[in-house]
Amino acid sequence: MSALLAATLPHRTLALFVLWLLLSESYNLLHMAVGLAAAFAVALLNTDRLTSAAYRIHWLRLAAYLPWLLWRIFLSGVHLSFLILHPRMPIDPIMIRHRTQLSNKNAVVLLGNSVTLTPGTLTVEANPDEVLVHAMDEYSAQDVKTLRLDRKIANLFKRTEARG
Amino acid sequence: MGLIGAGLMLVGLFFLVVAAIGMVRLPDVFSRSHAVALTDSLGALFLLAGLAVEHGFSPNALRILVVLALLYILNPVISHATVRAALRSGMKPWRRENG
Repeated sequence: MSALLAATLPHRTLALFVLWLLLSESYNLLHMAVGLAAAFAVALLNTDRLTSAAYRIHWLRLAAYLPWLLWRIFLSGVHLSFLILHPRMPIDPIMIRHRTQLSNKNAVVLLGNSVTLTPGTLTVEANPDEVLVHAMDEYSAQDVKTLRLDRKIANLFKRTEARG
Repeated sequence: MGLIGAGLMLVGLFFLVVAAIGMVRLPDVFSRSHAVALTDSLGALFLLAGLAVEHGFSPNALRILVVLALLYILNPVISHATVRAALRSGMKPWRRENG
């Protein structure tokens, strides 16, 4: 077990335990002991997922990004509803091979997730340097095509001193 | 308070109905997945937000927010897995020209 891993284990255990307490609402000794054990086990089982330590997420910028994403989701949802309810259903689905400039896996995962969350665009294939996106029409595709989403997400990650 | 909660839930219901109509009207598995994604991203969002408002500031409202956060992390993964499997098993996306 690496030093970095041992350092983050308590944090992860604590975070999961807080989630347990929030969801269980029974604060006797037995339930809390079981919760703590479960939290520790889950944290331990997920340790090998800690791969790219070279990039850290900017939590403050993430907090600014999420409301923006939610607003885009709302607008796209209204647009998609319009497409579905329109009598002639003016959809024109396209597949976009999107070469992403994002250089770390976590950012690509966030990109794929954001694209799929936004109604009207779906991530079909996701690779480290290329994402295949299915879009309902040109309007839905604009955030991906103009690289707006790419830039927003690149902005969320900061490079730390390379150590892994 | 009750009115705002009910209003939010009605908006959520609207998106759920639209998504159901989309499921029937849209031509292929890819575009239908968009409709399914709509139920989660907006239908569930407004329904659960309405429920949270109904509960006011309480542990239950907090729990609803946790459910919402998990939905937003997990559902894109499911949509993605579905359409990727469809593409890999040889399904061709519907296009306007050849439709």
